[in-house]
Amino acid sequence: MPLLSIEEITKEYDGIRALDRVSLNVERGSIKGLIGPNGAGKSTLFHLITGVEKPDSGKISFKERDITSMEPHEISSLGIGRTFQTLQIWGNMTVVENVMVGMNRRLKGNLFSCGLWLPWIGRSEKEALGQAKEILNSLGLLGKWESMASQLPYGKQKLLELGRSLAMRPELLLLDEPASGLTLTEIRQLSEQISKINHEGMTVFVVEHHMGMVMEIANQIAVLHNGKLIAEGTPESIKTNPEVIEAYLTRHTPPHHIPLPPGGEGKGEGVRQKNDA
Amino acid sequence: MFSQTKQGSQSDFRKRDLLYLAPLWLLSLIAPDPYLYHKKEFKKKDFYYLGAICLAPLIWSDSHFHHLMVLAGIYAILALGLSLFIGYAGQISLGHAAFFGIGAYTTAILTTRYALPSFLAFLASALSAAVIAYLVGRPILKLKGYFLALATLGFGEIFLVIVRESTDLTGGVIGIFGIPWFSVMGFSFDTYLKQYYLIWGVLIGLFIFSKNLVRSKVGRATLAVAASEDAASSVGINVPRMKLQIFVLGAAFAGLAGSLFACIMSTANPEAFSLGFTVLIVMMVILGGAGNLYGPVAGAILLTWLMDFLSKYQEYSLPIYGVILTLLLIFFPDGIGTRLNVRLIYLIGYWAKKKKRDEGKL
Repeated sequence: MPLLSIEEITKEYDGIRALDRVSLNVERGSIKGLIGPNGAGKSTLFHLITGVEKPDSGKISFKERDITSMEPHEISSLGIGRTFQTLQIWGNMTVVENVMVGMNRRLKGNLFSCGLWLPWIGRSEKEALGQAKEILNSLGLLGKWESMASQLPYGKQKLLELGRSLAMRPELLLLDEPASGLTLTEIRQLSEQISKINHEGMTVFVVEHHMGMVMEIANQIAVLHNGKLIAEGTPESIKTNPEVIEAYLTRHTPPHHIPLPPGGEGKGEGVRQKNDA
Repeated sequence: MFSQTKQGSQSDFRKRDLLYLAPLWLLSLIAPDPYLYHKKEFKKKDFYYLGAICLAPLIWSDSHFHHLMVLAGIYAILALGLSLFIGYAGQISLGHAAFFGIGAYTTAILTTRYALPSFLAFLASALSAAVIAYLVGRPILKLKGYFLALATLGFGEIFLVIVRESTDLTGGVIGIFGIPWFSVMGFSFDTYLKQYYLIWGVLIGLFIFSKNLVRSKVGRATLAVAASEDAASSVGINVPRMKLQIFVLGAAFAGLAGSLFACIMSTANPEAFSLGFTVLIVMMVILGGAGNLYGPVAGAILLTWLMDFLSKYQEYSLPIYGVILTLLLIFFPDGIGTRLNVRLIYLIGYWAKKKKRDEGKL
C-alpha cells in the first residue's frame, strides 16, 4: 500500500482544468519527483495534498486515511511536512526558534501551563532546544542559531525551511521547488541533504524545475502537462519518453508572449539540453 | 478620568513639575534594552525593574504620583493583553475597551447588588470577559486586517449601546456608583499607596505570565501565525484556535484591568469605555513597541503621564497631545521601547540642566 495515493483528482479554476483526473502514488521510502512545464498543475496538486485547496472530485489518502476534506493543520499533523515555492520562514523569530516551531505539535503544554511555566515546560523547552540545535547542526546552520531568520542569506533560509519541516518528523516531506533561486553549489548541498534524509527513512515528494537535481535524486518521476499525467517512471525512461520531450518543446505560449533572445533560458530548456547531450 | 488637581501656589507648582520626572525615570528603566530585545529569558535587568517599581512610590511619596501610577498600571495591564494580540499574533482589535468595560461592570454589579467579595468579583470579571471574547471571537477572527479592525470596532460600539440602554442592569448613562474598595481577606486597599502595590503586583504577575507564554511554544506559535499563516498551518498549528486563544487571553487581562479600575474609581459608567479609550490603549501598545512586552508598559506610563501633564494646559492639551504623539511616532517608529533608553537619559539630562539654568537666571 502506497504512503500517499491520489486517485482521479480533478480541479477546475473558472472552467480551466488545472488537473484532469490525475492519479499518482508515492511509495514509502522513495523519492518521487514531479515535473512539468509552467502551468502544468504541479503547484495545484501540492495545494490539494496539503489541504490549502479542495479538489472538485477525486480522493487523496495518506496512510490509508482519506485526507481530501481535512484542514491544512490536520493534514500536517498526520505527518506531512512541506516547504513552499515562495520561501515561508518566520523572519520575526531566531533561526533556532523557527526550527522549534516545527516541533510545536510534539511539545507539551498549553496556554496555562506555559504561562505558569510549570516544571515540565522548562524541561520540554530545553529538550526541544537541544533537538533543534541537532537539526541545525546537520544542515550546517548551527553557527547562526541565535540570529534572526530574516538575516540569513536566501540559500540558508531555504535550508532553514527544510529544517523546520524536518523538526516535525514527518513521514512524507513535500518539497515545492526547493532549488529555485539557489546557486549550483547550494543545489548540490540541498540534494545531498535530501538524499541523506531519504536514507534515514523519510519519503520525499518533490516538485522541481531544475531537471538535473530531480534526475539525480528521484527514483520515480511523474510528468504533468496541461493538467494531465503524461508519463510516470524511472528517470531514465522519462528522459527518453517522446511524449515528455514533445511537451517540453511545444509549450503553449500565450499570444502576448515576448520572445526570449537566443539562448534565453526557459524553464523547459534543461530537458532539451539534456537530450542534446 | 485623569485627575486634574489644581495646584495651590507657584512654589507647589515647581515641586510638582519635578515630580513628573519620576514616571520618566521609571520609564527609562522599564524600556527594553535594544540588544536584549530578542532574548526571551528573564535577565538581571528584570530584577532592577522590579526593584524600581517597588521603591518608586516610597521615594516619590506624593499621592498624586501614586494615583497616576495606579492608572498607568491599569492601562498597562490592558495594553499588555492587547500587545499579545497585536504585537505577537499580528492581529488588530479596536474593541478592547469593551472587555475592559465588561470587567468593570461585572465587578460593579456583583459587588453592589450581590455584595460579593471584591476578590471573587475580580476573578468573575476575567471569566466573563473571556467568555464573551470567546463567543465574539469565534466568528469575528475569521476576518483579517481592516475587516477585523472594523468588526471589533463594531463590537465595541454595540457594547456601549447595550450598556447605555439596559438601564436596569448597568444604570444606563449614569452608571453604577459606590463600588467598595478592593479587599482581600478583610484587608482593604483604601489608600493610593496600597492601590499602587495592588495594581503593580497584579501587573507584574500578568507580565511574568505573558513573558513565560512568549518564550514557550505558545509564543512561538503565535509569532508564526503573525508572520505566515500558511507556514504555521503547514507545521500543524491550528491557526484560528491560536488566534482565539490569544484574543480570549487579552480579553481576560482587560477584564481584570476593568475590575480593578471599577474598584479604584468606585464607579463604572459608559463614558470610560468609548472608542477614544480603545484608541488610547492601542496608542500605548504601538507607541511603546508592539513586538515586546516591556513596550506596552512603557507606553502606558508615558501616555498617562503625558495626558496628566498636559491637563494643566486645558484647551490646548489636545492639539499638543496630538503633536507629541505624531513626533514620537516619527522618531520612534517601532515604539519608544527600542531606542528609548539612550535617548531618554539624554533628554532627562538636558532638561534637568536647562531647568537649573533657568532657575539660576531667575
